[in-house]
Amino acid sequence: MLAIEHLTKRFLLEASPKRDKASENGDGQTVLAVDDLSFEVAPRQVYGLLGPNGAGKTTTLRMILGLLAPDSGSARVGDVETAVDSVAAKSKLGFVSANDGVYPWLTVREMLLYFADLYAVPPGVANDQLSHLAEVMEIETLLDRRAGSLSTGQRQRVTLVRGLIHDPPVMLLDEPTLGLDVVGVQTVFRYIDHLRSAGKAVVVCTHRLDEAQRLCDRFGLLHRGRLQHEGTMTELQTQTGREHLVDMFVDLLDGASKGTSTAASSAELSASGSSTGELAADGLAEASS
Amino acid sequence: MSGTTTRLWRLTRKELRETLRDRRTMLTLVVMPLLVYPLLSMALNRFLLSTSAAVGQGYLVGVATEAESTVLQSILNDERSQPPSEIADASDGAVADFQVAVTEPITVAEALISNQLDIGAVVSVATSGRRQIEVIAYAGDDASLSARRVLIERLQWLKLRESIELVSRLEPEFPFFEVQSTLIGEEAEESLLASVLPLVLVLMTITGAVYPAIDLTAGERERGTMEALMASPVPRGAVLVAKYIAVVFVAMLTAVVNLVAMTVTLSLTGLWSLLVGTDGSVGVLSMIQVLGILVLFSGFFSAVLLSLTSFAKSFKEAQAYLIPVMLLSLGPAMLSLMPGMTLSGPMAVTPLINIVLLAQGILSGDELDVAGAMLAIVSTIAYASAALALAAKLFGSDAVTRSGEASIGSLLQRPRYGTPVPTATEAGLLVALLLPVSFVVSNGLTQWVSAEQQTPQITLQLIANAIGLVLAFGFVPFALTWFSRHQWTATFRLRRAKWSFFAGASIVALGGWAFAHELVVIADQLGLATLREDQLERTRAVLEKWKQVSPILLLATLAFTPAVIEELCFRGFLFSAFRSRLSPVQTVVITSLLFGAFHVFVGSTLLIERFLPTTLLGLILGFVAWRSGSVWPGMWLHFLHNALLELVARYHESFEFLAEGYETSGHLPWSWLASAGCCVVIGLVVIRITTQAKDVPIDQSA
Repeated sequence: MLAIEHLTKRFLLEASPKRDKASENGDGQTVLAVDDLSFEVAPRQVYGLLGPNGAGKTTTLRMILGLLAPDSGSARVGDVETAVDSVAAKSKLGFVSANDGVYPWLTVREMLLYFADLYAVPPGVANDQLSHLAEVMEIETLLDRRAGSLSTGQRQRVTLVRGLIHDPPVMLLDEPTLGLDVVGVQTVFRYIDHLRSAGKAVVVCTHRLDEAQRLCDRFGLLHRGRLQHEGTMTELQTQTGREHLVDMFVDLLDGASKGTSTAASSAELSASGSSTGELAADGLAEASS
Repeated sequence: MSGTTTRLWRLTRKELRETLRDRRTMLTLVVMPLLVYPLLSMALNRFLLSTSAAVGQGYLVGVATEAESTVLQSILNDERSQPPSEIADASDGAVADFQVAVTEPITVAEALISNQLDIGAVVSVATSGRRQIEVIAYAGDDASLSARRVLIERLQWLKLRESIELVSRLEPEFPFFEVQSTLIGEEAEESLLASVLPLVLVLMTITGAVYPAIDLTAGERERGTMEALMASPVPRGAVLVAKYIAVVFVAMLTAVVNLVAMTVTLSLTGLWSLLVGTDGSVGVLSMIQVLGILVLFSGFFSAVLLSLTSFAKSFKEAQAYLIPVMLLSLGPAMLSLMPGMTLSGPMAVTPLINIVLLAQGILSGDELDVAGAMLAIVSTIAYASAALALAAKLFGSDAVTRSGEASIGSLLQRPRYGTPVPTATEAGLLVALLLPVSFVVSNGLTQWVSAEQQTPQITLQLIANAIGLVLAFGFVPFALTWFSRHQWTATFRLRRAKWSFFAGASIVALGGWAFAHELVVIADQLGLATLREDQLERTRAVLEKWKQVSPILLLATLAFTPAVIEELCFRGFLFSAFRSRLSPVQTVVITSLLFGAFHVFVGSTLLIERFLPTTLLGLILGFVAWRSGSVWPGMWLHFLHNALLELVARYHESFEFLAEGYETSGHLPWSWLASAGCCVVIGLVVIRITTQAKDVPIDQSA
C-alpha cells in the first residue's frame, strides 16, 4: 500500500557563511537528513519507524505527505507517487502528530466536519463517518463542546478521529503517545488496533521503544537518516543478536559515537549524548515541526 | 461549480465562526466603539464649548459699580460701536453681544478669577477730562481672551466713528476712502466629512482586519493546526480565499459598527450638525457610496495584511510586521488630505492614496474624473489580487520547508529549480506589475518626448511608443521568467507550428480589420464609446501625420513591435500560466479580457471604445494560439491585422473610389463586409481543422 524507495533528503546548513557556493558544489555544507531510505507497508500492517530525536523520522513523514520534495527517490501511496500528484496522495493519507492542535473556538463537531471538507468528503458521508468514529473513540459527549475546553487526553482522541475522518487507506502517526498519561497511551493502542482491523497500512514514528515493541508488526531502526536494521521482531533479533529493541539501539548509538555513555536503563532514547555535529543539525530539521 | 462554491462557503463559515466567537475580536468590534466614541465626543464637546459657544450667547462683562455699568452700557448700546456692515457680513453676521454685570461687593478681578465673568472692565465715569477704560482678561481662558479682543474692537470702532465725525465737521473735504467688498468665484464647500471620513475609514478597516488576519494565519501555526491543514489535499488558494472573505467581512463589520456608534454619539451630543454642515442629513446615496468605499478599503487592506501575516510563524512576529505597515499606511492617507491632490496621473495608480482620493471625490459630491476613478479601482483590485496570490504562496510555506530557511528575504531569492511554465499566481503577479509599470513608462516617455521637442514629431512619438511597449510588456514578463527559471520555449510557447496555421491566420487578418473598424463605428453610434469631437479631431490629425511618415517606420512601430511583444506577453507568458490551471476556453477568455483591458488604459486617458474590438481580436488570437499550440501564428496574424489597418488609414484616399458613401455614414459597404466575413470564417475553419504537428503535444498540461 505504501512503498518508499531510495528516499533521500539533504538540508543546507544554515550557519555556513558560504552557503550558496557550498550548495552548488555539494560539499560538506549540507546535512543528510534522510539517506537512501526504502521500506514497504502492506494493509493491516503496523510499521514502526524508530529512532532517537533527530534520526530523520519527521522528515521522512513530510516527504511521504508531499510537504517536502525529496532530493531523490520516491514515496508511493497505492499507485500515486506523492511528489508527482501530491493532491491525490494527500487524500489517501491520514496524518496525526503529537503537536497537533485544535481550533479553540469551534466545537469538536464543527472542527471535524471542517477537515472533512478539506478532504472533500461529501457532507452526508462525513456525518456518518463522524458518528461511527465518535463511537469508536468515545468522544460522543464531546462533540458539541468547544475544542478549547478539552483536556489533553480528550484533545488527543479528537485529533486521532480527525486523522481518520476521510477514511484513508494509509495512516501516518508521528509520536502519537507524546505527553499522554497511561489512559491516553492505552487509547492510542486501542486506536492502532482499530486501524489494523480496519485494514489500514500504518506507519508509527516513535522513540518509545517499549511501546513500539508491543504495537508494531515490522520495525525500521533509523539512525542518522539511515535505516540500520529492518524486519519483524524475530528477524531483528537474528540480525543483531539482541533480544530487545533497547539493546539494539544502544549498540547502534555506541557504534556511532564511541566513548559516549548512553542511559541503557531508560527505555527512552535521546541523541543529546551524541557529540557529532551531524545529529545536532538533524535535530534542527525536526525542531521545525 | 456549485459544489465548489458551497464548499468555499463552508470553509469561509469555519473562519468566520473561529474569529467571531473569539472574545478578542468582539473587543475591537463592539467594546472599542462603545467606549471610544462617547469619550471622544465628550472631549470634542468640551473643546468646542470653550471656543465657539460664546458666539451665540454673548460675553458677560463685569464692572465694579452701577455708575460704571451705565457708562459701559451706553457705549455698547451706541450703534457706532458696532462694526461696519462690511465686516459683519464678512463674518456671517456673527457679532458677539455683551451683557454688563455689576460685581459689587467683590472686585472685578476677584469675580473674574472665580469664573463668574468672561471679562472685566474698569471705566472712568467722569463726563469731562480724560476718559479711560481698562479691560481686564483672564490669561488662561480662551473665552476671556477672545472677549477682550472683541470688546477692544468695539471700543475702537466707537473711537474711529467719533473721530470721523469730528474730522468731517472740521474739514468736510477730507478725502476718506470708502471700503466696499465683493465676492468672486464659487464658495469653497470644505466638507469636513469628505476630507476626514476616508481617513477614519482607513483606520477603522485596518483596526478591524488586523486581528482576524493574524489569528487566521499566524494563529493556525500557533495553535498547531497548520501541519494538519497542509497535509490535507485542499489547494492553499481555496483556504486562503476563505480566510480572505472572513477578514474582509470582519473588517467591514468593524467599520460599520464604528460608523454607527460614531453617528449615534455625535447626533446625541448635537455635534453631528457641526461636522456635517447645516442641514445635518446624510442621504441614502451617500450611505451606499460609503459602503462601496468600505468594500474597496477592506478588500485592499485585508489582502495586504494577509500577505504579511501569512509569513509570520507567531502572533508576535505578525504584529511586528503589521505595526510598521499601519504607520506607513497612515502617511499616504494623510498626504491625500493635502489640497491640490487629484485623482489623476501617477496618483491614480499609487496604492492607498488612490482610494483615499477616490473616497474624498465621491463624498465631496464633486464631479469625478471617470478615467482616474476606473484606474484607481482596477489598480486596487490588481494590487489586492497580487497580495492575495503572494499570501497563498507564503501561507504554510514554513510548515513545508525548514523553519530557519524561510525569511522575508527568501521571497526575493531565485528558486534553484524552476517549473517549466509560470503558475497562475505568477500570471496575477505579472498583471499587478504591468499596470503601474506600463503606466509609469508610457507617461514618462510622453513627458520626455514633450520636453525634448516643443511640437513633438510623429517619428519620435512612434519610437517612444514602441520603446514603452518593449520596456513594460516585453521586459517584465522576460524578467519574471528569468527570475523564476522557467523554460523559455514552454513559457513563451515558442514551438514550431504547421504552415496551414499561418495560412489560416493570413486569411483571417485579410477580413479582420474591416470588423475592427465597424465595431468602433457601431460603438460610437450606440453612444457606448467616448468618441468625442475633439478626440476625432485629434485622430484625424494623427492620421494626417502618418502620411508624412515612411510606411516602414509605421509598420515597425505600430505593427511589428506590438505583434511580437504583446503576443509574447499575452499569448505566451499569460497563456501558458493560466493554462496550467484553467481549461482552454477559460484561458482564451481571460487572456483576451486582459488584452482588452490593457488597451483601455493608454497614457492617462481611458479609451473605452478600444475594449470591445481588442477583446474580440484577443479571442481570435487566443483561439489561434490554443489550436496551434504556438505563439508564432498569432504573432503573424496580429502583425498582418495591425499592418492592414495602418496601411488602410495611411492610403485611404487611394481607396475611396472603391467605396462611395463611406465618408458619410462611417460604415463600410456591405459588399466589403460580406467578403471580409467570408475571409474570417474560412481562416478560422482552416485553423480549426488543422491538427498540430506530431512532435508538439496537443497541450502540455491537458
